[in-house]
Amino acid sequence: MLRIATSRFGALELAAEEIWNFPQGLIGLEGHRAWALLGDAAGEDLAWLQATSHPELALPVVSPRRFVRDFRLRVAPSELVPLRLGRWEDALVLVIVGRTAEGVTLNLKAPVILNPAARLGRQVVAGGDQPLRHGLTHAEPTRRAA
Amino acid sequence: MLVLSRQRDESIMIGDNIVITIVDIRGDKVRLGINAPTEIPVHRQEVYEAIQRENLRSAQLDPKDVQTLGRVRPGGRGRDQDG
Repeated sequence: MLRIATSRFGALELAAEEIWNFPQGLIGLEGHRAWALLGDAAGEDLAWLQATSHPELALPVVSPRRFVRDFRLRVAPSELVPLRLGRWEDALVLVIVGRTAEGVTLNLKAPVILNPAARLGRQVVAGGDQPLRHGLTHAEPTRRAA
Repeated sequence: MLVLSRQRDESIMIGDNIVITIVDIRGDKVRLGINAPTEIPVHRQEVYEAIQRENLRSAQLDPKDVQTLGRVRPGGRGRDQDG
């Protein structure tokens, strides 16, 4: 077991197989290679990427398909080679959550791709015109088209 | 900064495993071909810096900042705020 300290969630004990190795870190955070994926107690949709060696370093993440109906990821195949994915279907895709004055946003430009079998992760840059801050519409009373 | 002159189809090498080739020159636009090991990330600098800023902003968030996610309509079509 690995005992890690976190500023948001207190002290945690993780099994070695719960640690994800990001050989290149995250973009702009290249020095942080070991991350844990923690479920958020408040909502099953939300998880946190927690750096195992820096208690205060954690980023909220969600599955984009849960929130963005027309989400399609375009990534150059060469970006995925270091993940050693057998099949693209085995990949787990997450996006990092942000926040502006208007509300919660999703970073669709730079998703995090995980290979669960190898416990490998990598943040990639999506092709096409994906936004860094995709704003989410908040729940409204359901309106049905006539 | 090291400055080298190159013509179309000429290359420079960085170390023994990164080759950057001038593919095309049109006006003030240069197209580069980059051959590098897949484990070396290659980014447009302004894109890299924008993603780094966004990552660092997200790393400042606390659970209470994103609790409204529970009220977000799953599968909804959002609005882009990049301008």
